[in-house]
Order: sequence, then C-alpha cells, then structure tokens
Amino acid sequence: MAPSNHQNWRLPPDPSRADLARAAAGDREAFRTIVERYGTMVYSVAYNVLGSHADAEDAAQDAFLRCYRSLPQYRSEASFSTWLFRLALTTAVDARRREGRQPEPVEMPEIVDQREASIGDHVDAATIVRALGDLPEDYRTPTVLRDLYGLPYQEIADLTGRPLGTVKVMVHRGRAALRLRLRAAGVRPAARANTAGVGHATDAVAGHEGGEA
Amino acid sequence: MDCGSVRALINRFIDGELGYVETAEFQQHLDFCPDCSEELRELCELRGALAAWSGVRLAPPPGFADRVMAAVQRQPQPGSPRPLGEVVDGALARVDEVLGRVRLPHGRTIPVKNLLGWALAVVALVIGLGRRRGRDATQARTP
Repeated sequence: MAPSNHQNWRLPPDPSRADLARAAAGDREAFRTIVERYGTMVYSVAYNVLGSHADAEDAAQDAFLRCYRSLPQYRSEASFSTWLFRLALTTAVDARRREGRQPEPVEMPEIVDQREASIGDHVDAATIVRALGDLPEDYRTPTVLRDLYGLPYQEIADLTGRPLGTVKVMVHRGRAALRLRLRAAGVRPAARANTAGVGHATDAVAGHEGGEA
Repeated sequence: MDCGSVRALINRFIDGELGYVETAEFQQHLDFCPDCSEELRELCELRGALAAWSGVRLAPPPGFADRVMAAVQRQPQPGSPRPLGEVVDGALARVDEVLGRVRLPHGRTIPVKNLLGWALAVVALVIGLGRRRGRDATQARTP
C-alpha cells in the first residue's frame, strides 16, 4: 500500500526503466544513482520512525540493501518511489521491533531545505522533533505511522505485531502526550483554526498497490 | 453529551470513525464548550504539523551513499544463487503471502504459517514420544 502522506514529498522522478533494469542486473553504478537520488527520502523515513541518527543510518542502509536484492522482483504496478518508500518504512519498523530503543538525548536532524522547516502557523520543526523524541517508544512508532505517514490502523497492527485495539490506544496516548508537549512549548493555536473535515483527514489512504519486497 | 463523553470520542472523530448521529452530538457539544473545542483545535494543529513534518527532507550523514555502496559491493549480484538462509527466508515469506494471517481475539493477528509450524512441532513431538515408548516397551520385553 502507499502511505497517503508520502504525497507530501516532492518525489524525484522515477528512474527510467532502462536504469532500473541495469541496476536489477547488478550494475552498481546504476544502483548508486538510485541511492543518491533517494537517499534523503529513505533516511528521512528511517529517522522519523527511529529518532536517532545512528539507528536511522543503519536502517536506511539496510533498506537500500533490501532494495538491491529485491530489484529483480520489482514490478512497475506501483511507482518505484512508492515501492521504495514502503520498503524504507517496513525496514525501519522491523529495526525497531528487533532492537528496541534506549532512551537517548534528542538529536536534531539536518533539514535539506530550511524553507521546509516552517511546518505550521504555530509550530516549528525543532518543537516537533523534540516532542517526538520525548515520546515513549510504545507510542512513537504507531503515532508516526498513523499521523506522519497516514497508515490505516490495521496496517500498523500488522507491521508492529500488536493487537489493533492496543495500536489505537497507543496512537491516542501518543497524540495526547504530543499535545501536552506542544502546550508546554507554548504552542496555542488561534481559536479560528479550521477543523472542518478533519474526521476524514486520513481516510484518503491509498489502497494496496502491492510490490512490497 | 458531557465533556467526558466528548473527550472519549475526540480521537475517533479525528480518525473519521464516528457515525452520523455521534458526529452531530459531538459537534453540538463543541458549539458551546470552549474547553473541548480548544482540545480539538490543538489536536488538529498537532496533526497538521506532523503531516507537514513528514514531507520535510532530512539530510543523511556525509558519506552515506559511499557507505551504502561499500555494503552493496559485499552483496552477491541480484538474481545470483542466494545463500541457503535467504532462500529459506524468501520461501517462508512467500508461504506467508499465500496463507495470510488469522485474526485472534482482541484484534491480534498471527501468520497461519506459524500455526502450521506449531502444529507440525506438536505432531513431531507426539510421534517421537510414541516411538520412544514403543522402543522402551520392546526393550522391557527382551530378556
């Protein structure tokens, strides 16, 4: 499936079929082009799920290795970027399930384009990173998957291996904890903020597109 | 609806899980309750910021592509014969895809493959114990 919020990305154009075929045949220069083109996307997903530079780099590298091995099985029903995005997300969640997470100081990531750092009328990037970094791990992964990447709850339950009801509770608690952290940071939205249609904000999650490695 | 009931529904409202009647009652309460309205506004602001953050590009550390490619160099060519462990992993993943998952009470799901694995293990154990008992009985009868 395609997480809906991956549409927030200004994705680089897919490699040409010829380039993908060369990479799938083991042409390492062709694969390097893919790594350079998509490194930022894969690393960003890994960082948001894992919350530390070292874990994110390991997971991002692992995602590219899986990509390299799986390229011969890639079919173009889904766009390559969607397929790779999903692979990065799955790899990062697997890493979290496998290795857990020790509490660490929040590490600010380097934003490629500072013009993107303004993410809301009242919230800045550093506040969001710190608030996510302070979340207990049980809350962080389901909340990131739901509210950053728009995955349906059942997908999150399958990915994390937790019961559906537990996942919902974790997301609700994660939101509550984040709201309190934003309040503590002085973020208070104006009363005019529009909430119309919010109840359907994540229902636009795209259907299954297959192609998962 | 009172504030307690509304707060219990806020997340379901955000997730689009409320029915028509519940939504109408929920919004009726918000019209005159500033506290619940503010909580909803803050959660909406939060979700908007999280969705926007998901689109922010974060730079991988310097030399990342070189390290990935060094790791790729150690990989076998795609499509070349894979190590036995990977072949087994791939076969198990394919079995997972075909058999799917079974839903347990409370919403947890487990792969059907795992259930079959456990069933096979129990059968093997029962057969093994049966054969051992048979052997012991034979030895006991032997003078």
